[in-house]
Amino acid sequence: MIKITDLQKTYRTEEVETIALNKLTFEVKEGEFVSVMGPSGCGKSTLLNILGLLDDPDGGSFIFNGIEVAHFNERKRADLRKRNIGFVFQSFNLIDELTVFENVELPLIYLGVKGPERKQRVETVLDKMQIMHRRNHYPQQLSGGQQQRVAVARAVVNNPKLILADEPTGNLDSSNGNEVMTLLTDLNEQGTTIIMVTHSEHDSRYSHRIIRMLDGQAVTENILI
Amino acid sequence: MLKNYLKIAFRNLTKYKFISFINLFGLCAGLTCCLLILTYILHETSYDRYNSKADRIWRVTRSFNNPEGVVSLHLGAVAPPFGPLLKNDFPDIEQVTRILPTGPTAFHYEDKIFNEKNGYFAENNLFSVFDINLTEGDRHTALADPNSMIITRELAHKYFGDADPINKLVQLDNRINFRVTGIFEPLPENSHFHPGYLLSFNTLKDSLIYGENNLLHNWGNNAFFTYLLLPKDYPAKSIETQFPAFLDRRMGDNYGPGVKASKFTKLFLQRLTDIHLHSHLDEELEQNGDISRVYVFGAIALFILLIACINYMNLSTARSTLRAKEIGIRKVSGAGRPELISQFLCESVLIGYLAFIMATGLTVLLLPSVDDLTGLHLSVTSLLQPAVLIPALLTPILVGLLSGAYPALFLSSFQPVKVLKGLFKAGSSTASFRKVLVVAQFSISIVLIISTAIVFEQLHYMQNASLGFNKDHIVVMSYNQGLGKSFNSFRSTLLQNTHILAASRSSRIPSGRLLDEQGASTESGDSLRPVTADIKYVSVDHDFLKTYGIPIVAGRDYNRSYATDTNNFILNVAATSVLGMHDPKQLVGRSFAYGNTKGRVIGVMDNFNFESMHQKIIPMIFTMPADSVANNNFNNLSIKLAGTDIAGSLAWIEKTWQRYLPEVPFEYTFLDEKFDQLYRTEQQQGSLFTIFSGIAIFIACLGLFGLSAFTITQRIKEIGVRKVLGASTGSIVQLLSTDFLKLVAIAACIAFPIAWYAMYHWLSDFAYQIPIHWYVFLAAGFLAALIALATISFQAVRAALSNPVKALRSE
Repeated sequence: MIKITDLQKTYRTEEVETIALNKLTFEVKEGEFVSVMGPSGCGKSTLLNILGLLDDPDGGSFIFNGIEVAHFNERKRADLRKRNIGFVFQSFNLIDELTVFENVELPLIYLGVKGPERKQRVETVLDKMQIMHRRNHYPQQLSGGQQQRVAVARAVVNNPKLILADEPTGNLDSSNGNEVMTLLTDLNEQGTTIIMVTHSEHDSRYSHRIIRMLDGQAVTENILI
Repeated sequence: MLKNYLKIAFRNLTKYKFISFINLFGLCAGLTCCLLILTYILHETSYDRYNSKADRIWRVTRSFNNPEGVVSLHLGAVAPPFGPLLKNDFPDIEQVTRILPTGPTAFHYEDKIFNEKNGYFAENNLFSVFDINLTEGDRHTALADPNSMIITRELAHKYFGDADPINKLVQLDNRINFRVTGIFEPLPENSHFHPGYLLSFNTLKDSLIYGENNLLHNWGNNAFFTYLLLPKDYPAKSIETQFPAFLDRRMGDNYGPGVKASKFTKLFLQRLTDIHLHSHLDEELEQNGDISRVYVFGAIALFILLIACINYMNLSTARSTLRAKEIGIRKVSGAGRPELISQFLCESVLIGYLAFIMATGLTVLLLPSVDDLTGLHLSVTSLLQPAVLIPALLTPILVGLLSGAYPALFLSSFQPVKVLKGLFKAGSSTASFRKVLVVAQFSISIVLIISTAIVFEQLHYMQNASLGFNKDHIVVMSYNQGLGKSFNSFRSTLLQNTHILAASRSSRIPSGRLLDEQGASTESGDSLRPVTADIKYVSVDHDFLKTYGIPIVAGRDYNRSYATDTNNFILNVAATSVLGMHDPKQLVGRSFAYGNTKGRVIGVMDNFNFESMHQKIIPMIFTMPADSVANNNFNNLSIKLAGTDIAGSLAWIEKTWQRYLPEVPFEYTFLDEKFDQLYRTEQQQGSLFTIFSGIAIFIACLGLFGLSAFTITQRIKEIGVRKVLGASTGSIVQLLSTDFLKLVAIAACIAFPIAWYAMYHWLSDFAYQIPIHWYVFLAAGFLAALIALATISFQAVRAALSNPVKALRSE
């Protein structure tokens, strides 16, 4: 599903040049659950952003579903993104001014899904995430775990092929964290590919494979069974 | 999608109340100014358009050239023979109609006597040219017979109460009876003339009143306002090009044997709808407006709206960090830039409409006050015509797009990666853009402050400058020919009151225009040589200079003991220079001829402002022909009071007046009021400038207030660190204010040349102008800086006084 070869990304400021990704190469197959680990600044988030089509690489190849997307423009990336990728962030990133229902509804609006269908799909996913009773609450009115469940609901509402999770449990206590990880595992078992950036060895054990990064390169790969 | 946009727009509006208030209030104030100015502009541009044939009506005007070919006078009216001759010589002209203003006229009905203004002799076909609604009477005959008259309902009520006014006889000027043959509705305010009563033109044929001969042959009495009705889309210019030949053919030897009339006089056609805003001739029916004023106020409206839009742009980009997360989330949820741009534009358009609704309400509320200030009767209903309403309803969209475009483009460009990782910081490029916007706002405000100051300075100068005579305590009124030979006795009676110093008759009085002119000849060797320069005359009596306190610089004043003074002249210093003399004394005693009178120059008076300060002092001559009274030369009576007992003096004048003229209403004004009237336009302009510059700076400050609040919040950590390191409150306030004051300083540098240029042009309309003082600019700059400082320091002081520990913990 994803094949990256010699992927490069460099950040420049006026004085310093930071190599975030240094000829990174790896592959993720459809239905896999992959964790990406490594110390701060090793390029994990950069990788996730490029995989999520939020950022473009400076060099190398990125094949998504058989298509070379490394040099897609913003519009094409946005289009591919909204149809195929869901995101889960450490800090939940819900829009404070929208209710739970409206937050989850957002990707469907941008996909152009009609109102009644939207309502039905949002309700299904909220039900699945056991957050239906909070549908009219605003994010600030929810606990961290509930917020992250809303975020996961939003990530899966358009049935993406790929979910990118950036330290999804980082802001949660262990019981809430485990709940979210169970949710992700369930999704993966239903066929969704998941790539998760994490610092937590505990969380990484939910995945099939761990890619360990250092200085923009993949240094080891552990296969977990 | 739109529902989602509106939802979040409303929630943002209520969540950030302070910023929303500034945005809404600013836009609302800006739009209110625009709507008020729009009603004014619509009013000004609507003049005479209520006439169904407005686009086919043209007015004939006449200019006079001196022998050098320079236009010395251009009147909105022409001599009486022109009307019928034009109709005769140009068969394409469908109608020609003339009106002749009557001046204040005493109406006498039973026991009621009042002076009525705004009367005109009018031809019976007036109704075929202008839309005049005759509610009673027959439009075909109402003004056909001599001595018939139509009046307004108001006038009818004043004289006849509820009785039927038709066929009532009213005595005018104590000598002629007019029969009321109709009632007409007053012409709308946006008409270039407003008759209160119309007298049949045929009355003028009576030789005791004017005479048929005069109507046919008097080329010198250019008081007849003459209008042509042309066929639709007729090229009026084609008639105008034939005017010189027409003048030569019809005026014959009027300018001397063999002299072509077209060399000395010209006729022009003026579109009816152009009269109010584009006609500033030497003789107009009423004071007209001015297209440049329409442009100036239009520009002010746009500037104020721009300032309000800038506030929106500024505050929206400034608080971009607050919305960065939302934008990031929307992007990862599948929103592309176009969707985000539409969302933000949708928000700004929504705010535009909210502001517009509030502004409409405010406009309705404020219109009466604007009417009081301008003396106009502006109407909100003028906004309801489709040609105005549709663009007006689209304005919020324009305002929304204008103020929302930059924030939309800017906000939608955020990189979701940085935003969602909390790495986002509004770049320095937006900060500099915001600075440019603040500079723009303050530049506009400073230009308006300077303009206001200079308008008032000029006004103050005109109202207080020495006119060269003493205008205080002079009572002026219409002279009534009924006094006739008994004037001397009337005057003596007046002077029995020691509080009354002098009384004098004249053809014109200061504050009026100097338009009358005859040919002058001056002594050259032992003969008289014609003078080429224009010298305007005023017919006066013995006491005019004394009444007005006009100083004589050479020779003497008129004196009753010299019987020959009726042939003698007094000129002003300006006239001596055009006659080629350096010293006024050289002129005294010289033979001089003016019109048909031959005599001597007995005195030279100092230059003084007979006309308003808009006009330069021009060469002027006082004449005192013996037949002045017989010829009705005098139109005005001026009485100089000592100023010690004004009420008593006025009572005495009234008593005397009623003794001599029991049939004539006693009405007077003070000369200084008449002079003040001359500057009414500038006074209004000054007041409006004050209001609008006040609003402009208020809106600008509102934006600055929001912006400084925001910037200071962003620097709260810096303030905390500085305080921990020992910075004083004062130094922090200074630190925070300096950045903004720098912007005001830059704005001042931009505003100064613009204001100078604009005011230089405005002042060039005045013959006597104040110099543009540098200190006005400096003061305006300081004022703007002071207001800005007050605005910022409110926030700055609060930040500086806050507990540094709190500030640091907030990190």
